[in-house]
Amino acid sequence: MLASEAELKPDRPTVLVVEDEILIRLLVADTLRNQGIYVLEAANAAEALTIIESALPVHVLFTDIRLPGRMDGIGLSKLVRDRRPQIKLIVASSDLPPGYIRQTADVFIFKPYDLGAMVHQVETLLAQSGHAPDHN
Amino acid sequence: MPPTTIRPPTATEPPVVAGVVLVVEDEVLLRLVIAEYLRDCGYKVIEAADADEAMLVLQQPQFAVDVLFSDIEMPGSLDGFGLSQWTRSNCPQVDVILAGSVPRAVNAAADLCEAGTVPKPYEPHHVHDRIRRLLATRRAAKGTKRD
Repeated sequence: MLASEAELKPDRPTVLVVEDEILIRLLVADTLRNQGIYVLEAANAAEALTIIESALPVHVLFTDIRLPGRMDGIGLSKLVRDRRPQIKLIVASSDLPPGYIRQTADVFIFKPYDLGAMVHQVETLLAQSGHAPDHN
Repeated sequence: MPPTTIRPPTATEPPVVAGVVLVVEDEVLLRLVIAEYLRDCGYKVIEAADADEAMLVLQQPQFAVDVLFSDIEMPGSLDGFGLSQWTRSNCPQVDVILAGSVPRAVNAAADLCEAGTVPKPYEPHHVHDRIRRLLATRRAAKGTKRD
């Protein structure tokens, strides 16, 4: 059994990035890591749910709407909102999503990403959840 | 809402990367644990969920992957053997370590990777040890060539 360091650091600001295009996922994850944010990566909704259902703390879920597999980002967002209402939700898409997902999510952002604005949105939601990154 | 200026890495952040490791593992909880461990060891770690993602990364020269650490048993178009063979053909500068839980597969993999195989379940420090030795050998070889 592997011991997870993540389980030993429950208070560090943690974002789960769900994106099936690996080059975009890497860009988002690296940008957030460079700001001192702990990032978990998932390639689809099934991987994201595995993480959500584990003992790992997640404070912000950042998901693309279009995902391969049985569940897309809309289904994932609904499920996480129902099961883990304390997790802040950011949904991203190149198209305007249905109104109900804009109401469910805390933040909706357009792709391609403005990285500066994206970091600002993530840090704002982390602060709202009581897990603001420490830049000192 | 004012956009945030992205802060560059500060002097307190480690400026030197020990190497770039591409971790390929379809079990997400295993992948994130070994990835985090290797990041804590000073490596830049790229996570891929399958061989298709890994090949896409390996084709991007800006990532400059030093070591491919891949599970043998994976779903998708290629398993770890196939990915190792593809890497040998297309990115010969990348060292390969395979991990597997089937003894027969582990034995077969010995022919495909420089550092042998890592039996699963593995301890992260064993993986780190393999990577460290591989990179040390590479640096020594480069030094010899320069001399």
